[in-house]
Amino acid sequence: MISRLILCAFLSASLAAPCLAKELPPKKNHADHATAPGLNGPSSVVRVNVTNQPYDFLRPWSKRPPFQRRAVGAVLPGSRVLTTAEQVANATYLELEKPDSGEKCPATVEVVDYECNLALVKASDPEFLKPFKPLALSEPGVGDDLAIWQLENNGTLLNTRALLTTVEVGAYPIGDTSLMLYRLTSSLQQRDSGFTSPVVKNGALVGMLLRFDSRSQTADAIPAPVIRHFLKAADSKTGYAGFPRTDMFNAALRDPQLRRYVGLTNGHGGVYISEVVPGGPADKAGIRAGDVLLAIGTTSVDRDGNYIDAHYGKVSITHLISCEYYNGDKVPFKILRQGKEMTCQVTLTHPDPSASIIEPYTIDKAPRFYILGGLVFQELSRQFLKEWGPEWTQKAPERFLYYDYYQRDVFKGDPRQRIVILSNVLPTPCTVGYEELNCLVVTSVNGVALKSLADIEAALARPMNGFHRIQLQGSPGEIVLDAAEVSAMEPALIRNYNLPAIKRL
Amino acid sequence: MRHFVRFFLILLILQLPVRAISIIEVRKSLVRITTTAQDPNYRVPWNPGANESGTGAGFIITGNRVLTNAHVVANARFISVERENDPNHYIAKVQHVGHDCDLAVLEIKDPKFFEGPVALSFTNRIPQIESSVSVYGYPIGGDRLSVTTGVVSRIAFHVYAHSAADSHLTIQTSAAINPGNSGGPVLQDGKVIGVAFQGFSGDVAQNVGYMIPVPVVQRFLKDIEDGHYDRYMDLCISTFPLLNPAQRKALGLQNDARGVLVGKVVTSGPFDGILKTGDVILSIDGHPVQSDGYVELDGERMEMPEVVERKFKGDSVSLHILRDKEPLDVTGKFEKAWPFQLQASQYDIQPRYILFGGLLFQPISRDFLQETQINNLRVRFMYNSFISDEFFIDHPEVIVLSSVLPDPVNTYLSGFRGAIVEDINGTKIKTLADMARAFAQPTQQYVIKMMGEGRPLVLERTEVEAARERIKARYNVRNEQNLSE
Repeated sequence: MISRLILCAFLSASLAAPCLAKELPPKKNHADHATAPGLNGPSSVVRVNVTNQPYDFLRPWSKRPPFQRRAVGAVLPGSRVLTTAEQVANATYLELEKPDSGEKCPATVEVVDYECNLALVKASDPEFLKPFKPLALSEPGVGDDLAIWQLENNGTLLNTRALLTTVEVGAYPIGDTSLMLYRLTSSLQQRDSGFTSPVVKNGALVGMLLRFDSRSQTADAIPAPVIRHFLKAADSKTGYAGFPRTDMFNAALRDPQLRRYVGLTNGHGGVYISEVVPGGPADKAGIRAGDVLLAIGTTSVDRDGNYIDAHYGKVSITHLISCEYYNGDKVPFKILRQGKEMTCQVTLTHPDPSASIIEPYTIDKAPRFYILGGLVFQELSRQFLKEWGPEWTQKAPERFLYYDYYQRDVFKGDPRQRIVILSNVLPTPCTVGYEELNCLVVTSVNGVALKSLADIEAALARPMNGFHRIQLQGSPGEIVLDAAEVSAMEPALIRNYNLPAIKRL
Repeated sequence: MRHFVRFFLILLILQLPVRAISIIEVRKSLVRITTTAQDPNYRVPWNPGANESGTGAGFIITGNRVLTNAHVVANARFISVERENDPNHYIAKVQHVGHDCDLAVLEIKDPKFFEGPVALSFTNRIPQIESSVSVYGYPIGGDRLSVTTGVVSRIAFHVYAHSAADSHLTIQTSAAINPGNSGGPVLQDGKVIGVAFQGFSGDVAQNVGYMIPVPVVQRFLKDIEDGHYDRYMDLCISTFPLLNPAQRKALGLQNDARGVLVGKVVTSGPFDGILKTGDVILSIDGHPVQSDGYVELDGERMEMPEVVERKFKGDSVSLHILRDKEPLDVTGKFEKAWPFQLQASQYDIQPRYILFGGLLFQPISRDFLQETQINNLRVRFMYNSFISDEFFIDHPEVIVLSSVLPDPVNTYLSGFRGAIVEDINGTKIKTLADMARAFAQPTQQYVIKMMGEGRPLVLERTEVEAARERIKARYNVRNEQNLSE
């Protein structure tokens, strides 16, 4: 009862917030937002109009209502348009629109990488982008004055100044990705349905806007080095391979007691390797947790895990590994182990995110499900947890959050490819007494251990004495359905709940 | 005291007594209790906590004792009691306290206190729903005795908010129960049918007050007869209702609405090695178990655990079960109460901790987490799944680095706040005592591995020794550890 009331209080608070926000008119600063119709702007940017329709992971047989988003894309040489991957995620329809004339052309995604949040879009009509003047890529320096290009409704360019305050490696919105970011200060106004816009300097592209916080007037942009790496990888003859990683984690080696412990008696550099993911590039190269990383190639690594970049100065080695190297590059890592220096040859690769037991993101992909007599089986994914809303890290089932966050620990050596779960129950005559069950891990069906949901069909083909026996992790242990009754009831289940399908494997 | 106020926030207009039962007799046995308590300080565990005082009610029972709620006298440093029509204040001491059932018995040394009044007697049956009751006590709204009346609204299991982890039988009444009513008797036909103890604030619900019923009170009084309170016994299993026809058929059960499925059998519980997941409990101590987990006791439908609620340390419980479709009789013996209390609010104890090199290590518990606001996912999960995932086997105590008192010896370690200790110099740390032993080893350096953290905490003995007095003086540390249970 108490919790219900608290919920009401939260609801009213969340309802109140947008109203308040509306009352505050956006501040206009003409000096900062001078429109520049005469610049080469309008001819270098294009509107990217997208209809997105993601799957509903709580009702995996259906999609959420479609919604439209408008963004500004940068026209690049080769008649292609750069935009953010978020913009085209789960896109059902994509078109490009000329800012001045409003002329439209259907488009397709050529290459997309959700981890670096970039996408290349191609117009279906090769002539459509001909009149545009493509943007070249250039690299700004810290302290430079940049401009963010948005479009007014009438097609004129809205040119907002932005100061590049910091360059550092930070978290990207999707997956567990950390790449270089430009931190900007800018008083940007809202146009279109988001902040996906090119960041330019002297008419050359330097970044794509990633996020904007209107309260602190700060923005993050995907920087030129990440865009350059993405474009180069996109043109690879062997296909797009993503950003390389070592799959190891490091911790600062500032603490003199820790330095003495690892045998570093002189020098100032070296970073502590705190974890090496089994089977990852660093592991394969023989690097172990507890080693000290002294240098990558000829670049020395300091005690915080930074190196000196020729252009940006002190940056995390994550940038060096992900952006200065490409998939398949062999790089010597100089390490210190028990006081002795040695070199490990690391073949940098991009690990396949779908190889994780709990997928970090599931985009443009229909989630698997199987409905057995009303019991809904799914595979645990982070997208499923994100269905609990913006506060999913607090509100989603705690056990699943724990499994996701600590999956490398929890599922070390686990033979499963996916965690099969009983996500919820559509009540039917077969599921009497099971209605309250939800978010439980399924370990086996009819005695067959499930490595992924794909195994369920074979398991269900062999009922035990006419019963389907579903083994759950933890209480109640096992639940049972009558196999004949489940089959007989299936048409009614489909009709009653208006299901387009009973399974998707 | 905080508990008086926690549940009661809004003043209700007190109803006038409808029926005058022998109030003259009752009031002689009524006691007003004033307590000064000192709550433990989990943030600075070597410091005494803040002093708080509050009042509650109690009543005289046989054996020259006063019965009240545990929360009225929890963490008490000084207790004084007053009787109606007696201007004297008498000093009282807690004789026995049961924090799991929110009951306490007080002793008063001064024999004058018991001259005159008679001990109130208890009814020997559960009252009928809708029968009238009167609540006596000293609730807010004035200083003198207050009586409110209402009816018995509901009889069911309910969480006892004092420990927040125990559920026992409660009687819900529509009589106003307000802060200060705690510990007072609820009477029907001149006999005590319960002890008023908790309710909801007016923001949440109206006319919902709870009393501890006589079976719970009698169990407490019987438990302490040997001079020691052994707490409640527990089956330490989880059960699942057997309502599904297919499941019943598969288990070989009739369609007779009997039996519950055994889910988890907790390691080291009374049925460890006796019951198995998948067994069906058909009856408990001869009482048939219905498929929704209810049994009939004293003519009332009650939750199955009520049978165990009436058991004591050393007692046994017999179960008639079905295993692999074969009937079987098994017996479990209650050797001791469940030892791991971290999910319950704890009272009358001092926080346990070790301070080493300015690093403060403490075992997690309900009160500790509430006060320190340590809320990382690993700590949350280990706390909430402590029993279901049997973390108690490897970590009878989950020890957390709760704070870092900044000093040159630990200046690079502040980021580890909230991490759980795994081992020290390769030795697994299961309890705070293990940790004290590890830190007492005369080794060059202490390498502390935290769960999920690849980078160890390295403390050199010479550095720790050099910092010791400095930290103690700078942060006013009185004791570097408290290992007492």
